[in-house]
Amino acid sequence: MKKRPISDETLNRIIKFLAIIVLGFGVVLLAIQFQDFWNWILRAIRAVIIPIGLAYIGALIIFPLIKYLEKKGVGPRGFSLGLVFVLTVGLIFAAFYFLTPLIINEIRNFFADDFPIIVDYINNDLRGEFIFGVDLYDRIITFINETNVIADTVDSLVPNLIASLSNLLFPLLMAFALLPILLIFYLNDYEVISERIRSIIPPKHEKNAAELASRLNQTVGAYLRGQLILMIVLGAVATIVYKLIGLKYYFFFGFLVGVTNIIPYFGLLIAAIPPIVYSFIATSGPGPLLVLVVNVVLQFFEGNIFQPLIMSHQLSIHPIVIIISILFFGSLFGTLGVIFASPIAASIRVIYRFFRDLRQEKLKNNVTEATST
Amino acid sequence: MIKTVRPRIYSKFEINTIVFYGTILLFTPLVLVFTYVFGIEQVFDIKIYILILVIVSGIIGIVGTIILFIKRDHLKRQVKATYISEFYYLVTISIFGILGFIVLYNYLGGSPQYIANIFILLLVVFVYILLTLGRKFFNLNYSRKK
Repeated sequence: MKKRPISDETLNRIIKFLAIIVLGFGVVLLAIQFQDFWNWILRAIRAVIIPIGLAYIGALIIFPLIKYLEKKGVGPRGFSLGLVFVLTVGLIFAAFYFLTPLIINEIRNFFADDFPIIVDYINNDLRGEFIFGVDLYDRIITFINETNVIADTVDSLVPNLIASLSNLLFPLLMAFALLPILLIFYLNDYEVISERIRSIIPPKHEKNAAELASRLNQTVGAYLRGQLILMIVLGAVATIVYKLIGLKYYFFFGFLVGVTNIIPYFGLLIAAIPPIVYSFIATSGPGPLLVLVVNVVLQFFEGNIFQPLIMSHQLSIHPIVIIISILFFGSLFGTLGVIFASPIAASIRVIYRFFRDLRQEKLKNNVTEATST
Repeated sequence: MIKTVRPRIYSKFEINTIVFYGTILLFTPLVLVFTYVFGIEQVFDIKIYILILVIVSGIIGIVGTIILFIKRDHLKRQVKATYISEFYYLVTISIFGILGFIVLYNYLGGSPQYIANIFILLLVVFVYILLTLGRKFFNLNYSRKK
């Protein structure tokens, strides 16, 4: 059988592909050779990216509200923007003003009242109640005392933690200081900035790029708005239920549920551990079983009522895909990767679907052209 | 000939009426549930507080009913295919409302050992009412594939 010759088009594509790979290797090699230079460049990029990214996220959450007000006749843009901005800042300030003292008070009370009891329990009573037996408990304690494993781990972790925090602290502080100003300018000229970005794109790809950007904005915006509402609603429900069952420090535990809910599936699990452990050790209040049941019910409500209701199927990605993306992006970008794993996965799906639609449309057009000629 | 059953589409007037009276019904438990977290019972006499809330919800109810009747003709001309966002609002206030009823039961001196039973009973009643309302008035098709 005679082999079919490779077409010029395929050859062209292969050469392009190889050139990109070689160039990629070149960039990596350069990065290794001039590591200090690249670090310097990356630091500069990060200093710009963090505030811009935060402003973009803020705009995605706030802009629909401004649009809604304008639709209702509240304008011009400056007025509606001012109204939304004052309202948002007021809400954030009120939340900090009222909630922070309560949470700090609970933490202080915990360290004053319960922490000594817990330490005492671990030192004295735990030995007798250890479920794997006294023998294993003694071995673990001997191992800890002989190897000094806790002190060593703390010694190695603390400097790293301080170093990474100080590295992150300055850009984050800068970002939060710049955020309101950036947000005001971005929201005021939202359409103009979008138009300018659009004008950079070559006219050949302008329509497709605009369509893709609009789809991505819609998906990421819907996710962020939904996640924010979900965090507030779940945090509030958890706080109320924890107080109803008589759990001490219900504000802190409820707050924990709200904050950790930013991580899909794992968040509620993480938030459930401290109240369960606390109710296990505490002498008064609800038993650990009741706290566990409350958390299971919360998990059920979150997955079956709140999530579909609030997210309104905007992010209908299979749970396995979300879990895999959390693990993958978490290992790539750390905490930020874990938090943004779902919107990244959703964005990848939007991009994939967009190009699939584009290819299908192209194929359809080719068939119509062929049949017409 | 096969007869197709078309669901009746209700106007904004009917939907707003349901949403408004739902909110009025749940107003007292909704306020109670949020103030409960901040320990309002330590500051005010809770029975007077509940009475004030009931009076306020009554006043809002009367004012709202008058506004609804004034806007009746205008709202009756507005129709939507489905009222998903209105239904979501109703579900959200119902969730907090159920918890609010439990707080109310707690404030009125009910025994804490029956809280779980009351919660399940209220949940079943609310879910049934919401499902029925959703199907009949809000035109939600629960069996539709996502």
